[in-house]
Amino acid sequence: MVRGWLASLAAGAPPRVFLLEGADPPAPACLLGQNGAVEVVDAPRSATLLVVAGVLPDALLDAARLIHDQVGRPRCTVQWTHPRAPAPPVAAFPVTCTVTGSVDDLVASLIRLQADLVRGALTSEAPILPDVEPAPWRGVGPYGQGGTGMTGGVPYGRPLAETAADRDGLKLDQLAITVGPFFPPFPTGLALELRLQGDLVQHATVHPNPFQVRSLPSSDESGDEAERERDDPFGTALDRPVAIARLEMARARHHLLHLARTLRLHGLDALGRRAMSLRAGLRPGAVAPLCDLRQLLERTRGLAIGTTGAGHLAEATVRNRGLGPIARASGLAEDERVEDPAYTALGFVPVTHDGGDACARWRQRLAEAIQSVQLAARAGEARSGGAGRVEAPRGPLTRESSATASALVLLPSLLEGMEWGDAVATVVSLDLDLRDLPPASTASAGQPTAAVVAA
Amino acid sequence: MRLGLEIAVTGLILVASVYVVAVLDLVLGRLVAAAPLRLAEAVVRPVRRGALLFLQRPPRTERPDQALWILAPALLGAIAAAVLFVMPLGPTELSQSSGMRDVDAGIVYFGALMALVMVAVYLHGWAPNSLFPMVGGYRFVALALSYEMPLALVLIGAALPARSLSIGAIVDAQAGLWNLVRQPLGLPLYLVAALGLTFRGPLNVSDAADLAGGTPAESSGVALLLWALGRNAILVAAAAMGAAGFLGGWRGPALPGPVWMVAKSLALVAVLLGVSHLVGRVRLERFVIVAWAVLIPLALLDVFAAGAVALLAGRP
Repeated sequence: MVRGWLASLAAGAPPRVFLLEGADPPAPACLLGQNGAVEVVDAPRSATLLVVAGVLPDALLDAARLIHDQVGRPRCTVQWTHPRAPAPPVAAFPVTCTVTGSVDDLVASLIRLQADLVRGALTSEAPILPDVEPAPWRGVGPYGQGGTGMTGGVPYGRPLAETAADRDGLKLDQLAITVGPFFPPFPTGLALELRLQGDLVQHATVHPNPFQVRSLPSSDESGDEAERERDDPFGTALDRPVAIARLEMARARHHLLHLARTLRLHGLDALGRRAMSLRAGLRPGAVAPLCDLRQLLERTRGLAIGTTGAGHLAEATVRNRGLGPIARASGLAEDERVEDPAYTALGFVPVTHDGGDACARWRQRLAEAIQSVQLAARAGEARSGGAGRVEAPRGPLTRESSATASALVLLPSLLEGMEWGDAVATVVSLDLDLRDLPPASTASAGQPTAAVVAA
Repeated sequence: MRLGLEIAVTGLILVASVYVVAVLDLVLGRLVAAAPLRLAEAVVRPVRRGALLFLQRPPRTERPDQALWILAPALLGAIAAAVLFVMPLGPTELSQSSGMRDVDAGIVYFGALMALVMVAVYLHGWAPNSLFPMVGGYRFVALALSYEMPLALVLIGAALPARSLSIGAIVDAQAGLWNLVRQPLGLPLYLVAALGLTFRGPLNVSDAADLAGGTPAESSGVALLLWALGRNAILVAAAAMGAAGFLGGWRGPALPGPVWMVAKSLALVAVLLGVSHLVGRVRLERFVIVAWAVLIPLALLDVFAAGAVALLAGRP
């Protein structure tokens, strides 16, 4: 009876969701948490529902299975696919329900599923992987330690920490781990091979891109042009002119979503929801709510306090690399729109910031969002594009290159020597999307480790 | 019998206040998010969320220290209960008859208990045998000394006018003038330290999103629920101490003492939660520098000033 009473109470709780975002999700998956009806959690253990948004490439399936088995029990998996491009069933991956539709449709399904799950109307999904040690016992002690080569052993497949010189010249333990490819603050698919001393990054390597197909329509792709322009205005603008108002509103929405992610990383969930809510109600020319948010952030120094000085990129480092807002946050007025007569007719002048750190980058994007909303109001019917090169929200975009590719090159050297908190803030501030990368690398994302589990 | 009553009253206050904190957190979150305020939902949601976690099965990790994993949230709750146990809700006679008791060295007792928060957080990070929780635990240890020094110093400052370490005597000494006015540095410094003590907002370095949730990253179900309750309980205990030490405790016009004490404590809880919603996590290294270069000298100044005033006031 007590259980029944608890179940009826729990059935009304907001669904606790862990997100796995693949290629071509119907919408950015983090929008799920925008109105508070769903709680998107940082770790799979505390979730009850696993949402697979879009299509998971094969290279990410091992990591996805590992995370599935860590989701709290009772649990179930929901696959969220695009109505126009339903995802194929994921191999050897239990999916209780498939939703094709908007964020609201998904939220409604999640509420229903969690209620069924806690009431016992739905059976919890069984683990996918066998409950065995990840590697054979190598030592003689109770934790796999000991025996020959005690300090260099590999208990349960995990190498023991080796010592190495730290930044102060001391010999300290060094731990080799992999973080990603589903670590929530990181862009989906990004996995970093790290050597840590404490929470100090001593060495970082980026795993190969697991997304084999770039999420951009090809120039000869058939289909509804209007729909394509609405869904991917910058990809469309590579081939033909698109209304500037549409491009700039898409840019503003992109930057606000990124700001929401940044706020969430720094523990400002409520302000993140506010940014997403502003994004949802964005209208050309209506800059007052955005200015209010900027004023609030500047007055409280709420976000600056954790981002100032993190991930500094000097002008010389970012110059002529095609890094868009990252370069502009380092004081460089690099912007494809400067060369575009349609934009110059609107009086466009690039916004820039000094500083070149994570703080300057979120300020830059928020300022650009405000500028874009103003441009959209002034643009009228003006159009831009068709030259095979466009200033996308992340920076210059062509069919052969993207800002993410340029930023990824800088990442390992940038992270080395940083504390973990700064390293994560830096990765987030670069606004990477591995699905934007040209398909240069198709290798596996690597084997997930315990760090992926925690992710 | 009497001890049982005392424990029951403390437990009741703790449970009620932990629930109120959860509701207040939701309400403030919606205000900051500029979302419509649905009070009925805010009242029910913590209960529903608690029921959901209660129904989740306990987590399993590879070779955890199961005993410590259970002990850590229990320790957090016990620390908060032990602090509230000695918090005066009214004049000495009322406090004693209502089951609360004052102790002669209340400030020392509070400081000693709050030092154990570091142990609870560290154990919570250590127990699951997982990377991110452990880093969270170590981060808290690195933070703790930096906030504990100013915390201890400003509480000594609050005790000086009373010439006593008893929390009841500190409240009594504020009959004419609150320490908030007498020692203007005291409460702001105490609140900064309280953010560290309760690992919230800018000083939530142990349970942070950059560690996939930090020390509770491997927790689910009842374990996670207890940890969340423990965090709220510590917040209540810290706010109650702030109210007693700087806002005159139960003293106030017209209304009964306990009402004032609860109102002042809730006001401080709201301030701490509000700051948590508006100010993001600081960079740990930078905070440690600020703590040693700015906060501790300011706290020393506060103590010296309070000592000088107490000496002058005590002269015939």
